[in-house]
Parts: sequence; C-alpha cells; structure tokens
Amino acid sequence: MPISTAFFHILIALADRDRHGYSIMQDVASRTGGKVQLSAGTLYSSIRRMLEQGLIEELDDSPDPSSSDERRRYYRLTRAGRRAAALEVERLNSLLTQARASGLVPGKG
Amino acid sequence: MTAQAIYRAFLLCYPAAFRREYGREMQLAFADQLDEARHQGSVLAVWLGAAADVFTVAPKEHWHVILQDVKYALRTMASSPAFTAVAIFSLALGIGPNTAIFSLWNGVLHSSLPVPQPEQLVMLTDPNSVGVSQGSQDGDRSLLTYAEFEQLRDHADGFSGMMASQSSLDRWQVRVQNSEWEEAHGRLVSGSYFQVLGVTPIMGRAFNESDLPYAVISYDFWQRRFGGSPDVLGKTVTVRKAALTILGVAPQGFIGETSGQQPDLWVPLRMQPGVLPGRDWLHDKGADKVMWLHVFARLRPGVSIAQAQASANAVFHSGLEAYYGAILSPEAQRQLLDQRLVVRPASAGASNVRQQLADPLKILLAAVGVVLLIACGNLANLLLARGTARQREVALRLSLGASRARLIRQLLTESLVLASIGGVAGLAGAFVLHRLMVRMISQGESDFQMAFRLEPRVLAFCLGATFLASLLFGLLPAWLTTKTDVSAGLKSQGRSMTGSTGQLRWGRLLVAAQLALSLPLLVGSGLLLRTLHNLQNANLGYSADRLLVVRVDAQTAGYEAQRVPPLIRQLLDQIVRVPGVRAASYSDNGLFSGRDSADEIEVEGYVRTGDKDKGSRWDQIGPGYFTTLGVPMLMGRDINEGDQPSSTKVCVINEAFARKFFAGRNPIGMRITNVYADNRVVYYIVGVAKDSRSHSLRRDVDPRYYVAATQPLSELDGAVFIVRTSTDTGPVLKGIQQVIRSIDPTIPILHATTVEDRLKLRLAQDRIITQLAAAFGLVALLLSAVGLYGVLAYGVVRRRSEIGIRIAMGAQPRRVVKMILGETWTMVIAGLVFGGALAYGASRLIASQLYGLAPYDPATLTTAVAVLALVALLAAYLPARRASRLDPMVALRQE
Repeated sequence: MPISTAFFHILIALADRDRHGYSIMQDVASRTGGKVQLSAGTLYSSIRRMLEQGLIEELDDSPDPSSSDERRRYYRLTRAGRRAAALEVERLNSLLTQARASGLVPGKG
Repeated sequence: MTAQAIYRAFLLCYPAAFRREYGREMQLAFADQLDEARHQGSVLAVWLGAAADVFTVAPKEHWHVILQDVKYALRTMASSPAFTAVAIFSLALGIGPNTAIFSLWNGVLHSSLPVPQPEQLVMLTDPNSVGVSQGSQDGDRSLLTYAEFEQLRDHADGFSGMMASQSSLDRWQVRVQNSEWEEAHGRLVSGSYFQVLGVTPIMGRAFNESDLPYAVISYDFWQRRFGGSPDVLGKTVTVRKAALTILGVAPQGFIGETSGQQPDLWVPLRMQPGVLPGRDWLHDKGADKVMWLHVFARLRPGVSIAQAQASANAVFHSGLEAYYGAILSPEAQRQLLDQRLVVRPASAGASNVRQQLADPLKILLAAVGVVLLIACGNLANLLLARGTARQREVALRLSLGASRARLIRQLLTESLVLASIGGVAGLAGAFVLHRLMVRMISQGESDFQMAFRLEPRVLAFCLGATFLASLLFGLLPAWLTTKTDVSAGLKSQGRSMTGSTGQLRWGRLLVAAQLALSLPLLVGSGLLLRTLHNLQNANLGYSADRLLVVRVDAQTAGYEAQRVPPLIRQLLDQIVRVPGVRAASYSDNGLFSGRDSADEIEVEGYVRTGDKDKGSRWDQIGPGYFTTLGVPMLMGRDINEGDQPSSTKVCVINEAFARKFFAGRNPIGMRITNVYADNRVVYYIVGVAKDSRSHSLRRDVDPRYYVAATQPLSELDGAVFIVRTSTDTGPVLKGIQQVIRSIDPTIPILHATTVEDRLKLRLAQDRIITQLAAAFGLVALLLSAVGLYGVLAYGVVRRRSEIGIRIAMGAQPRRVVKMILGETWTMVIAGLVFGGALAYGASRLIASQLYGLAPYDPATLTTAVAVLALVALLAAYLPARRASRLDPMVALRQE
C-alpha cells in the first residue's frame, strides 16, 4: 500500500534527526523550495495517524536543549517507520524504472 | 492576538479529543508559520491553508472518531451475541410494522400517481366515487356522463387538457387472437387519456380521439401474457363483442389514474357498446343519465383551481339547462339543476379504498408506534442492566481522562448502531408485512394492488424511526451508566453484576410505562374483536344459512328490455326444479351486492317536514321474496304470482318505512308515489315486512319499499336469484349454473355464491384491521411481559445473597415468592392506572370503527386488565420461583 505524500514528507523530515511539528513544516518547505507547505491541521492529523500506526513515536523530553521552547513535542522515526519509508522508496523506484523502460519519460541510457 | 483568537475558533471545528491532544501544538506551529510568512512568503497562503483544514482535515478527524466508536460498538455487540440478538429482534419487531404500515398509509393516502408533474392534475369528479350511477344527483356531482365530459372537454377554459376514465376497474372476458377466453382487468378511457397523463408507451403508440378499435396493454400484462414478445403489436384482443388491435405497451409501473389498481388493458371509451353490450352509456337519454366516468384535467399555467371550477361549472350548467329544458317541465328542471362540479387537486389520483382505509390505517399506525415505544422500553431496560455490568469499564475510562460527554457519545453510538441493524432487519420485515397486508386487503377489494416502494418519504420515516428509537432507548441508560462514582465503580471488583438501586428504580418505572402502554392496545384490539364478532353475528332479519345468490346479466347477453322479464320467469321456473332447492325468488339489487336504488316519493297521508324525508330506497322483487328469505310479514301479504303487469301496482314496505311514514296509521292499502323528473308512478301497499338487512351491516336499517318486479319502476337488466336450499349448497349452486347455461350459454353469471361467503367478503377489511390490531396487541403484551420478567429476574440475581440469607435463616419458599410478587404489584398497579387513562383516550380514537358496543365498554376493559394482570403475574412468577429455590450455600459462595 502506498503511503500518503504528507506521511512520506514527514518520514523524510524525521530521517536525519528528531523534530517538533514546526521544524517538520520548515524542513519540508525548505527541501521542496517552498512548493510543499504543510498546514498545521494536515501535519497534526498525519502525526496522529502515524503515531497510531507506529511509524513515529513521541519523545518524553526535548532532545534539543538549544531550542528556544522546551514545551514543544518532539517526534522520532521508529523502525517500522523506516521500513515503511524504504518500501515506499522501492515502490517509487520500481515505478520510475517502469516508466523509463516503457519510454514514457526519457531514461538515463 | 486576533490571529490567535481566530485560529482558536478554527480549532473548535475539530473533535474535542484531537483538540486537547494537539490544539496547543497547532497554535504554536500556526503562529510560527504566520511569523515567518510575514518576513518572507504569503500570509494569505497560511490563512488559506488553515481555513482549508477546517473543511478537509477537521471532518476527517470527526469521521475517524465516529468510525472508532462504531468499531468499538461492533466489538461490544459481538462480545455479547445473545444481548445483541434480542435487541435487534425487538427493534425489528418495532420498526418493521411501523415502516410497513406507514408505507401502506403513504401509498393509499398520499402517494402521487406515477406520471410526470402529478401536482398539475385536477379532478372534476369525486376521487372516492366508483361504479355506475343512474338517474340524477343533488349537490356536488360525484361522477359524470360521457356527454357531459365531451362538453367540458370542448368548451371549458382553464384546462390544457382533459380526459375521462371508467371509474370502476372491470373484469372482462377477453380472448387473445384465437386462444381460450380468459379474464383480464380493463378500463375504458378517453382518447386524450395518455396525452393528459403525459405517458408515452414504451412500444407502439397510444390511441387518440380518432382511433377506435385499438387497445394499449400494461407492461405487466405484456410480460405475463405475451412473455414480453415484441411482436405483440398488431395482435387482436377480443373483449366481449369488440375486436381490438393492440396498439402499444404502457411503461413499467404505469397504473393509470386510480391508485391501488393495475389494469391489464386500456380501451377507447367509444368502444363501450362492444365492451359492455346492451347498454348505451355514450349518450344521455331522458331524465335518467348514466354517470360512470371520472374526469381528470391539467390546469393551464396561471389558472387557479377556483377559476377553473367557475369555468367548468358555467359549461356544466348551461349543458344541464339545455338538456333538461328540452325534455322536462320547469318544476322538474328546478329539481335537477341543483348540481355542481368541484375541481380538486388530484396528484394522488382516484381511489376506491382511500376513504375506507384512511381511519383504520391511522389507528394501526398509532398502534405500531406504541409497540415501538414498548420495544424501546425493553431495550432501555436491557441497556440499564448491561450498563451496571459495565460500570467498571466506564469508571476506568473516566479515571483515565475520558470526559462524560465522550462516553455518552460512545454509548449513544452503540445504541445507534444497534438501532440501525434493527432498522435494516425491520425494513426487510416491512417488505414482507407490506405484501401480506396488500394480499389481505385484496381479499376484500379483489383489484387492490400496491407494491412496496422505498419512496423518499418511506425511507425518511424508517430512518427517523430508527434514529428516534436509538435516542429513546439509549439516552437514559447512557446518562445513568456514566453517572457512576469513579472510586466506587473501580472498587466494586468482581461483583460486577450488582447495580445501583437507582438503576433498578428506573427499570421498574420503564416496566410500569410499558404495561401502561400495552393496556390501550389490548383494549383497542378487544373492542375491534368484539366489533367483528358483532358484525359477523349481526341480525340480518333472516338466516344466511343455506342461502344462495346468483346474478345473471341479461343485458350484456343482448336481451332487450322487453325480453328480460320472460327470461327471468323461465330461469326461475327451472331453478326451483333443481334438486335441493327449497324456495327461490329474485330481486333487482340482490343481497350485499353494492347496488341500490333511491328516489323521491310522496306517501299518502304523510306531510313532509323537510328534505330529509323526501325520498326512500327501493328494490324490485319477484314473487315469494320474503317467504324465500324467511322474513316474516307483520301485516298484509308478500308479493305473489297474482301481481302481474296488467294488475294494480303493488309494493311491500319494511318496518322502518312504516315507522317513519305511517307512525300509528295502518299502511295497508295506502299509496306511495314515486316521483322522478316528470314521471309519477303509484304503488299500493299490500304488506309490511319485518326489517331485514340487504345492504349495510353497520347502518340502521333504512326505510325501503319493494315493488313487484313484474310491475317495474325501472326496466330490469337481469336479476339476482335468491335461493334457499334444503341440502348442501355446493351441488345446488352447480345445478343452478347448469340450468342457466342450458337456457342460454351466453348469459354472464356475475356471481354465484352463498350469502355467508358474500358477508365474509364484505367483512374482509374489518377482519384484516382487527387481526392486525390483535397481532400488535399481542406483540405489545409479550414485549411488556419480557420487560417485566427481565427486571424481576435481574432484581433476584442482584439480591441473591439477601435471599440466600433469608432462606438460610429459615424463610419458607412461599414467603420468598410472596416477597418478589409483592414488589411486582406496585409496578403492575401503576401501569394499569396510567394504562386505563390511556385506554380511555384511545377508545375515543377508534369509536368510529366500532359496532354494537360503546367505546367505553366495561367488559372489554375488564378483560384487558385481567389479561394484562395475569400475564404480568406469570412473568413475575418465574423469577420468584427461581428465587425461592435458591440454594443458600451456592448463593452466598458466589459473593
């Protein structure tokens, strides 16, 4: 089953380090050059579902003492989350290969 | 600040739990986003994103919560399958009949005809009238003649189209091509019929004013008789003497202009002489008009009903004046010109059952509504008991931070899921019950047909009933179950079966309410049962045992008026010779045939006091009529063989006639003058017969005079032979039919049956309503008994240890039984008192349906109370007995 774009963006954002909500939004925006702007509602609705599915987990305390606001809630990728991301990458990769092989888009040669 | 306030308002659109969990985070993130956007980017985009969330993310989150609740509810239901099954069954028992009766009520009273823009249709005749009326009418005209229809169609303004249809649906002898004769339902309709109704045949075309020997057949008939074959067009159908070519097939579901009837074929009105031979119903002749048509029209845009009615009446009146002016004296004209048309909305079409079924269906609807209430009471009680068992779970969830509102929502969702499944089961039940009821009704009204259709209104009713039921039975238990004290709830460890006394009190209140609601249903069905019994045993004035009626239709067989009397004479002579016949006579109108005659009269020595006593009903009878029936003559003699066409015209009157017109005088030898238009016919009274019933079972016997059929007031078109047999009726009936066929095989025998069967048919509708009411009364009684049993049994379980101790201390089993029963009485008495008040109100509601007894019938009330009390006692006795047999050691060990 493919996972939603929002889920995937959140998984990518959490790949290198644990983040709080706004930090995820910033990361997604900067990585996509501002093309993808997660709204707060979409973000937290996704976070709720990802928590339920065990793709991410919430940290008990802030891992980033330099952060200006310690009250923020931080999230971390779980093993299941990483596996889900890997599977999704594989799926997208295979899709891309097929598209190239069929001549739908130009391949690398 | 303001931005934050607005965003907080946005957050209110999310489910409370989600808001509690993430609201603060979302506010922070939104504030940061907005901040950043002010430096670089678009503030508007951020706002749009937040607003879009309200419409996309928030509903999704709500849906998530609902889905969670539903999943939880289904899990809970699956974990107690017995409870779930009982609950769903009770609900289906409540919702099913409600939907079925509502659908029938809606179909008979309110459903629109299945034609385009039915709301534009109006009727110029009375939608509830049906049949053929010969003569004239006072006041509002119920049916119209063909000539009158033509005048209105051609001259009345305000209508964009007008059509006429035969008011009764006839059973015709038809023959397809050269196959055998068979029976089919047919209706004569005007050439404008299909065009005014706005219906186009799915195959072929409709006939118009100029097409004559053609017919359009129904979709069902096409499927049934022709297997849906496309080469049906052009085939010949012979209806009696008219050979017709099939011109088109009507669309599926098209029934025409009368609700509840499905004709097999439609034939142009002008084919009447061939289809109904021996009569001319297309032309008005003399003062006796033949009124037999319904007239429908569509209003021209912008024309009001009042305007249309004025214009129609102008045409109608000038027509009457011109017609009667040419043939009648001014005095007779005055009498006949007092007639008018009423134009009324006709989206629901005509109906021959609407008027009779309106009140009974309303009564049944009220009854099943009460049954649903009682079923809800049972469910509420079940949920209360289960709520007690779930107190620990509830207390746990409350202590874990769930709000009470959240828990109530959860519990109500469970109720709604239960109700929905019950509703679906009920809908399936409604489908079956509806068919059953239609079949029952069609026993009395043989042409009645109505399919169960899930119309928007019926669906809305079913959904509404389901939703309302779920609130009714779910709200109180949800409220009480979540009212627990958290620490007490958690402490009550393993003793999960003990409930608070408060919940038991509510349970008893519910049971008392159920008993109270059952009583009016029992009283109502009791009253209807007694009414049916009274009707079935109504005093006819003669014995219906071994009495036959056989109607022959000489006119249709082509006999002219002067040839009918000799034919009847010949038939009668042969009928009395059939073995087993003890006596035989005949009359024009027969017994309980639905045919009646009435005219204005003048009675010798009687001075009229007003319009009420200016007329009387009458019949024309053969020799020995009263002797054959066994109705005693109180004075004078019966009509006999000596009363010949050439002798003095004589008649017999009934008691009611004598009472009304001859109070204290001797009627023998007095004159009755029948006055119709300019015709005056004088009869001399030769006898007074005891009152007897030949038409209505319910009404008081009407004054009636019976003239000798050999000296007729109006020409006979046939006769109803009345035959008393000395042996079994079956073979005699066959013998009579053989005799008639041997004299002339072409004479249609319209009915040949025992009077008892005719009365059964007549009472079919009363019987259906009574049976249904009794069935619902029984269901109510059973549900209440189950409710009572449940509460008491639960009470016994709850007090097991107390009862165990009492028994261990030496209490006799009898005392224990007495104790439990004693607790029951308060409930039962309270229920009976309130129920009595309800029954008092309910019996007024059905007063119009009763016969031979008063609405406040002490015997019925006493019986109903006794039945309810007895059933309550039985329901209470079982748990009481179980309590008395408790083994104290076992009971105490379970603590």
